[in-house]
Amino acid sequence: MNILTLIIFTPLLFGFIITVLPSAWRNSFKYITLLATLLQLGMSIWIYCNFKTGAAFGGINHESQFQFMQKLPWINLDLGAMGKMQIDYFVGIDGISVTLLVMTSFVLVIAALASWEIISNLKGFFVLFLILDMAVTGVFCSLDFFLFYIFYELMLLPLYFLIGMWGGARREYAAIKFFLYTLFGSVFMLLVMIGLYLSVKDPVTGNHTFNMVQMMNPANYQPGSVFSVLSHQTIFGFSARAVGFVVLFIAFAIKVPVVPLHTWLPDAHVEAPTPVSIILAGILLKIGGYGIIRVCISIFPDIASADAYWLGLLGVISILYGAMNALAQHDLKRMIAYSSVSHMGFVLLGIASQTAEGISGAVMQMVSHGFLSTMLFFLAGVIYNRVHDRGITHFRGLASIMPKYTTFVMIAFFASLGLPGFSAFIGEAFSLTGAFKSTTVNCLLPYWMAVCGSVGILLGAAYFLWTLQRMFFGPVNLKGGSVWQTALTDLNLREKITLLPLALMVLALGLMPSLVFAKINDSVLALIQFLQVK
Amino acid sequence: MPLLAFVINFSIPAKWNKVSGWASTIAILISCVLSVFVFAKVWNSNHIVHQQQLWFTIGNTKIYTGILLNNLSVLMLLLVSLIAMPVHIYSTAYMKGDENLSRYFAYLSFFCFSMLALVVVDNLILFYIFWELVGFSSYLLIGFWFTRDKAVQANKKAFIMNRIGDIGLLTAIIILFSQYHTFDITQLFADKGLIAQSVIKNGLWVAPLGSLPSIWQYIACGGIFLAVAAKSAQFPLHTWLPDAMEGPTSVSALIHAATMVAAGVFLLGRVYPLFNGLELTILAIIGCFTAFMAATIALTQNDLKRILAYSTISQLGFMIMAMGIGAYASSLFHLVTHAFFKCLLFLVAGIVIHQMAHIKDDNAMDIDPQNINNMGGLRKKLPFTFIATVIGGLALIGLPLTSGYLSKDSILIQSFEWSEGRNGVFKLIPIFALLTTWLTAFYVTRLIVKVFFGELRMLHGKPDIKLHIKDGGWQYKLPLVLLAIGCLFPLFSVNPLLYEQAWLFKGFAINGGLEREDVYHTLIPAGVNILSIIVIYVAYTIYVKRKTNIFPQEGFLYRLSFKEWYFDKIYNKVIVKPVLTLSTASFWFDREVIDGFISLLVKTGIILSKLSAWVDHHIIDGFLNLLVAIVEAISNFARKFQGGKVQYYLFSMLVIILALFILKIVF
Repeated sequence: MNILTLIIFTPLLFGFIITVLPSAWRNSFKYITLLATLLQLGMSIWIYCNFKTGAAFGGINHESQFQFMQKLPWINLDLGAMGKMQIDYFVGIDGISVTLLVMTSFVLVIAALASWEIISNLKGFFVLFLILDMAVTGVFCSLDFFLFYIFYELMLLPLYFLIGMWGGARREYAAIKFFLYTLFGSVFMLLVMIGLYLSVKDPVTGNHTFNMVQMMNPANYQPGSVFSVLSHQTIFGFSARAVGFVVLFIAFAIKVPVVPLHTWLPDAHVEAPTPVSIILAGILLKIGGYGIIRVCISIFPDIASADAYWLGLLGVISILYGAMNALAQHDLKRMIAYSSVSHMGFVLLGIASQTAEGISGAVMQMVSHGFLSTMLFFLAGVIYNRVHDRGITHFRGLASIMPKYTTFVMIAFFASLGLPGFSAFIGEAFSLTGAFKSTTVNCLLPYWMAVCGSVGILLGAAYFLWTLQRMFFGPVNLKGGSVWQTALTDLNLREKITLLPLALMVLALGLMPSLVFAKINDSVLALIQFLQVK
Repeated sequence: MPLLAFVINFSIPAKWNKVSGWASTIAILISCVLSVFVFAKVWNSNHIVHQQQLWFTIGNTKIYTGILLNNLSVLMLLLVSLIAMPVHIYSTAYMKGDENLSRYFAYLSFFCFSMLALVVVDNLILFYIFWELVGFSSYLLIGFWFTRDKAVQANKKAFIMNRIGDIGLLTAIIILFSQYHTFDITQLFADKGLIAQSVIKNGLWVAPLGSLPSIWQYIACGGIFLAVAAKSAQFPLHTWLPDAMEGPTSVSALIHAATMVAAGVFLLGRVYPLFNGLELTILAIIGCFTAFMAATIALTQNDLKRILAYSTISQLGFMIMAMGIGAYASSLFHLVTHAFFKCLLFLVAGIVIHQMAHIKDDNAMDIDPQNINNMGGLRKKLPFTFIATVIGGLALIGLPLTSGYLSKDSILIQSFEWSEGRNGVFKLIPIFALLTTWLTAFYVTRLIVKVFFGELRMLHGKPDIKLHIKDGGWQYKLPLVLLAIGCLFPLFSVNPLLYEQAWLFKGFAINGGLEREDVYHTLIPAGVNILSIIVIYVAYTIYVKRKTNIFPQEGFLYRLSFKEWYFDKIYNKVIVKPVLTLSTASFWFDREVIDGFISLLVKTGIILSKLSAWVDHHIIDGFLNLLVAIVEAISNFARKFQGGKVQYYLFSMLVIILALFILKIVF
């Protein structure tokens, strides 16, 4: 049994178990879910340890260099004169996906632990949770576009219900907004996917194929087809490949999210229950970044270089705009949500630079933000669970009544604002380095973008420290008075167990960035080389 | 030797001990001994220790971590550990009774770790890391009493101001990396290193490995200057330092007087070759301006620690100025001597404030224990402290026999020499520097007189209060003695009058300034000191005799000085408010415009669908309904014919036949 297949479908198996168990056993559901995620984590660590590095394992556009592959014919329909329809079940990972896979399974364990707060309709919640789990894991592993798309769409359904049924006061609004936003992107993605399918032929079988790796090779495009590099087809007067790129980019940019496609995020994050916020911020946003690397710039490298300026510009705008908005927030969760926008801007900037430093920095930033946003949302959830309020101005002097909680908040805040020694610093510093170096290496981004990006680091310090000062320091003064004071107990054991590994992870990645860089380096170099050749 | 250096790095985490203050103190003692040892080995031995190890690889760039020990770094290593040790001892007594004692020592040790690491690291990435960790530990320590509003506002301000410097440094590092493809300090800044090999010509900054437009050389220097200005509290980023005095006094002594704020000067020392003539001149002007400005502010402040803080800013300005005029060695020399006497003064201030706070608590008075207007006459109560203060104060003024005399005069003399070959405007720099030393003499005397002479003013109106104050135990006295020794000349030079003989100068390759070639070398020390003594005497008479009205308490100049040149107000208005407004505006934009656009789309969709529903209901369905209605009407009409009445049938038949006939006749 292939390990990737196992890791993808384990949650489904457990989800099935939960479905058939009687509701009377509902208290065991959370343990079953936790077990499933722990199993997944174990498997992903095994994968991580056995992941081979070296120039021969670069991946990206060489099918043979992917690891833990499994390729099974899935839908093979003989269409007579139109040839055979070839859709494979094709999974495999390279350096870009392996670290994100480990991060994903780690975050899912945390999300499972955060699900303790759910009290209603447990069966539904955990089944949906596990379906979601399967879908996100699948996205990072699949190499067939059709399979990728199925997993990608499959995420939406459970998320819609998870937000819409277990969320906060305006949950229906947030859920429908989230759903429509993402659906808007992916519907058009479907069109491009079909266009690609019709343009690309598998050189071995001679059939049209959804294989993403083969889509990266210009030689596989049929002459005269829509997306062929040579034929310069146009759609509505624009180059067809440019249209394809932009459509795919918009689909992923909604996920990242890139300003101005971000407005679903604050609402969805704020209304979602804690575990769902964690999955949204920790994993879903990374799928956007991962998609841009794996799909957008790998399948359309020529357009990616031509439009790099705009990608970088959007990145810088996201960084600054997100930070400015975060500064204006009065709701803790909303502040964190906007800080996510700002932090993910670094990812886009790094990717746009198309330098080794930039892309490594972007992947590092994604991994780091996966852990950090998880930690931040968990922490916001802790306080919300206790008093059902998240207003920054409603609290004061929490450090005196919740010292342990404050310690973790400080770790998370300082790590997020890029204090050296934590992972975010490495990610941000190298994204910026790559962006600056880009001018001398490949002339894609102007120098000022990196300089403007670094202002985002300054603003990051401003909004986190201001929040820290307003909520945690100073004399105790709570909006809810003594009722709140008794409700606001310090962290319990489960919460400490959840937070400690996260804090250790961000610290470990900050001190030993090679944990990530060693695994991704060959793939990044292969990607850079591939992009330069075009 | 490398092994030993490794031991130092190893002893550092060991210090991170939360058990008690003594663990920290012993740890710092060990590092102190070790650094003395290292210093003895490396100083002037032409033996530069450079050890490195691969940290991680990114792309094709290998990033190393390692240590670099040369004269500059061992000097700083020694200085930091030497200053840190007395402060630790002092802290065990000063912080006694605080419930978070272990947290305090953990922070303090963390600071020492970052600071020691900062001075020995060998590449810019690590340098940045520890640079920011130093700022972070300072943040923690300023806000140590986190329930005080002022303290947490001060630490936020300090961190954000330092962040401005940090992004400057980060930008500079990124520029250097793009230009030279390395972070290694030796490769970059050594003699004949990469920096030395690059030149600016034709608007291009040409280096061995590539070139950038020359503007980026200036931006890199500007970034480093921002970093220096933030850490060393230079104009325009100096305002955090006086506020940082909200932290415990022992912290102010260690971090905000002796070590951390000197890191900026140290950074300048590390990257000195990067700066060209013009940039150095700008540095000199800013340093000089800061020195002068801070000294004028110190004249009118009433808070004991704030006076010392502004005096620190002023002295740091001297160091930066010295760097700018090329007096590299003098600048570092002043850094070392300043560390001793300023630390001493802060520790003394701590004792005084503690005693005042005692009086306040004992008698339940509502006064500010740091306000020097409430003090006076403490000379008799705290004789030991008084002597220490006088030594520190004299060193700060720079009178002969003290270490401050040696370093300050060397800077002044070289500034005169520097301005020699330049035109009128540059002559102002040494003159302002000179003026600043006299201002220093004045405010130091004001401070000492107000605190130690006369009578205790807080007792006015309450003469019957009993005072139980004394100098304190050995934990107070020992550090003072150690530091006071450091303020006197023998530690630095056998000849108390001639700085040229100080051993410190021999450690740095310097260009001139040591030969007593011109008249300045005798004239300036003599002139400065004679005038200083006069100033001291004047100030003494003014304040001892309590002629408080000798200076107008209003007037523009007084207010300018008392309000600290309005920097805080200006920054608040010009930067903080607009940024907050902008953020509110962008949130409004986000809500109303971007999200508004989305909801507009949604509304349009809903309206469209309502429209189509209406069309569906009224037009398409309406058409069908119309058809139905028509059919119904016809059938109703037709139904009337089948009423079942024979007469009706006959009648209709008749009508039809008649109609047929008529038709036939007509056609």
